[in-house]
Amino acid sequence: MTGSLLLQSLILGVLLGGLYALLAAGLTLYFGVMRVVMIAHAAFLVLAAYLAWFANSRLGIDPLLTLVVTVPLFFGIGVLMQRLLIKRLRPATLTMMSVLLTFAIALFIEGLVGFVWGGTQRRIQLSYSSASIEIFGARIAVVKLIAFGLAALSLLALYLLMKHTRFGQALRATIQHPEAAQLVGIKTEGVAGLGFGLGLATAALGGTALSLDATIYPSLHWHWIGPLMAIIVVGGLGSIPGAAIAALVLGVGQSLLQVPLGTTWAQTIFYVALFVTLMVRPQGFFGGRLAQRF
Amino acid sequence: MTATAASGATTTVSNLSTRGLTKVFGGVRAVDGADVTFHEGKINALIGPNGSGKTTFFNCVTGMIKPDSGTVTFKDRDITGKAPHAIAHAGIGRSFQLCRIFPRMSVLDNVLVAVRRTGIRSLLAPARTEAEVTKARQLLVRVGIDHLENAEARDLSYGQQKLLELAGVLMGDPDTIMLDEPAGGVNPSLIGRIGSLVQELNAEGTTFLIVEHNMDLVMSLSHHVIVFDRGRPIAEGTPDIVQSDPRVLEAYLGV
Amino acid sequence: MPNASSTLAAPERAATAATPTDRSRRRKIATVVALIVAAVVVGIFPAAAPNAYILSAGVVILSYACTATSWNFMGGFTGYISLGHAAWFGLGAYGTGILVRDLGLPSFVAWALAGVVVAIITVPIGIAALRVRGASFVIVSIAFVLILLLVFQGWGSFTGGSNGLVVPRPFPDLMRPVHHQVFFYLFAALLAAMLVLWWAINRSRFGIGLKAIREDEDKAEALGIPTRNYKLVAYIISATFTGLAGGMYALWFGDLDPIFQFSILLGSYMVLMALLGGIRHLLGPLVGAIIVGIGLEVFKLQFGDTQFHLVATGLLLALVVLFMPDGIIPALQAGIKRFGPQSSSIREMTAGELAERNRAAGVSGASVFAGRKAEREGVENEDATTPTEEEKR
Repeated sequence: MTGSLLLQSLILGVLLGGLYALLAAGLTLYFGVMRVVMIAHAAFLVLAAYLAWFANSRLGIDPLLTLVVTVPLFFGIGVLMQRLLIKRLRPATLTMMSVLLTFAIALFIEGLVGFVWGGTQRRIQLSYSSASIEIFGARIAVVKLIAFGLAALSLLALYLLMKHTRFGQALRATIQHPEAAQLVGIKTEGVAGLGFGLGLATAALGGTALSLDATIYPSLHWHWIGPLMAIIVVGGLGSIPGAAIAALVLGVGQSLLQVPLGTTWAQTIFYVALFVTLMVRPQGFFGGRLAQRF
Repeated sequence: MTATAASGATTTVSNLSTRGLTKVFGGVRAVDGADVTFHEGKINALIGPNGSGKTTFFNCVTGMIKPDSGTVTFKDRDITGKAPHAIAHAGIGRSFQLCRIFPRMSVLDNVLVAVRRTGIRSLLAPARTEAEVTKARQLLVRVGIDHLENAEARDLSYGQQKLLELAGVLMGDPDTIMLDEPAGGVNPSLIGRIGSLVQELNAEGTTFLIVEHNMDLVMSLSHHVIVFDRGRPIAEGTPDIVQSDPRVLEAYLGV
Repeated sequence: MPNASSTLAAPERAATAATPTDRSRRRKIATVVALIVAAVVVGIFPAAAPNAYILSAGVVILSYACTATSWNFMGGFTGYISLGHAAWFGLGAYGTGILVRDLGLPSFVAWALAGVVVAIITVPIGIAALRVRGASFVIVSIAFVLILLLVFQGWGSFTGGSNGLVVPRPFPDLMRPVHHQVFFYLFAALLAAMLVLWWAINRSRFGIGLKAIREDEDKAEALGIPTRNYKLVAYIISATFTGLAGGMYALWFGDLDPIFQFSILLGSYMVLMALLGGIRHLLGPLVGAIIVGIGLEVFKLQFGDTQFHLVATGLLLALVVLFMPDGIIPALQAGIKRFGPQSSSIREMTAGELAERNRAAGVSGASVFAGRKAEREGVENEDATTPTEEEKR
């Protein structure tokens, strides 16, 4: 492996890791506020990518502009999903049943996408699609940089929202200790709904970023949800910083392994990490919440 | 060490004791080097202010939590860190703080499930043998809910569920029973009923260890009281002696 | 319930025990009738099937029933929901195919051996996966099938990779319809074996222990049930039968592709079928498999190769989870009970019984129940988290 190839893999890994981090943050939000493992997260990601592709190829709009519609739309869907569906589940079996319910939603979306736009692979063609820049001999596509920038900005915004707003405070309180949050007057139900919406908004952002330089097809979401779930378990369920670190580490790992092993085998790093985590530390490496219970 | 029981006239035998038992949760020493000796054949009570580590101690003894250091000895065997089911087989039965039953199984099955299980052959045995059903029914009669044997356990009132949990524990023929707040959330007349059940069973030779907040119950029931504070016993003795111990007042009032 | 045993309680029970015994007898009769009907249907179906397509659809549905029933050894008894059981199906199918291809074993010897291989693989995987519960277990199960998909796609030299694997037919001389017919009976026999085992476990001490794990694992452990070993045994049984169903499928279908064998969709069908029928019931997965299987075939006929069956599957699964988590069989039973002659619920019955007992018993029992009313009122609030679901529905 030459130095520039190594550097290129490293950079690509970081860029990919940024997207993973954003999406894993979304998954962590659902889990944090509702103890829900949202299997449909990646399906919404693919849906957003399809919407961006549709807007670009049929309506001629730049995919980034679709964010204006998809982010609020997904936010609303998320709130409604929590209010109308997740809340209906019995508390005793919430975590388990929510897995099945969101799994069902994932199937539904996958089927719908395939039904409306067909099962063939799609890809956005932009004027700047083939542009790339060179950094110390490593060639990095501009669209990848844009995608990373979008993910990084969104993560930063999410961080600021969580740390410096009253809503963020309520959200963090709800994640850490729902009963205590209720006692100090936080309407945890409402906060949970908004947290859910926020989580789904990350799927809209991530999907748009994804659409810039990925080939998309309806069943693509399975290739995302597996690694994402591995990331949140490795990062410690419920911990957003943990998820972000795990995302970067595993993203870089995957990218580096791709060179000697090829794409298929490189993906297994996530599952290896997942099993190792469960064997060694069921509560995850970075966060504090016990995976065992959920 | 800790205050010696002044009831020294009667010889004290112990089948269950801990030495230096310690459990740390994220820097907090929930149980901190606890040396506790329970009196065999007696009703032992474990009291102490909230957060004094009683329940963690309880869980360490019954194997639900693995202690960080220290030993638990039962009938001269080291049972530290053994799986809960192995500790149950050794002869320690326990109840849970917020009573736990199997909500969607029948009352009778809730008791039958607790039958002693040893070896592979017991796996293949039918779930309801005549002898076991008879025994389970007798236990239900004993706790007074035999008329409900075919109801689903979740349809029972909370108090009835507590009695059911006790019947389940008894099914395993434990010689030591640990009860975590048996009177919690239960109305006074039922507390009386539970209290007399404990006394009856104790008279038949069962050792009890009770974690309880209801001081009236503790003082009227127990032979030996151990007071916990900050993860270790600070005083022990007969109810009278403990009640007049200044350290106990201090722990409770936080002087 | 033989023998009202304990002399203490006998007088009261004599009057009240009639209803449960009656119910269990009626249930027994219903089960026997259902079994006879099922046997007759299975027996005449191949002859009655108008064409080879219907016959092959019958084989597919039976294979679904096998997978859903084998899934239920784990999902139904212990409550551990595995969405990745397709992994075992694929391992059984590929195991059979590879053993025939590389070792030249007779088809059914290879099939049985593949079952053994699956059982052996289950042990380490089970020990790892069963360290976690609930949703984490679901995640692990999904991850497991995704890994195997990657491995079987990537390891082309051994598994045939994306090109698939052709499994030689066990009966090369048979005409296609007869081939279907033979496998229809083979799948039926496999299913029957599973149902008998399920029934046996259900009434064993092992089975009641598993059900206790489903209800409250910590409590079960505290009562002396070695939960880890119990779960592991259930997992091995479940995985092995799923593998055997997969191997049978490989011998029948003759062509394997990682995409279909190690698909999340197949695993989700198992969950959907079992939940739809009712995971607490012997015949629940079978009922679910018949409904979902027929539905899938109809969808494929109506909508061809579109992805619409995914929409329908997702919708159905969501509806089951939201409105019928206990499945069709309990819902039907509740319906029958409601319209049946004796409409009293358990609670009402016990309340009546209680009053009677209190009157009759006078002192001994009465002291226990004197405070019941107060206690109900006092404690019911804490109890509010566990209202009876039946009443709500």
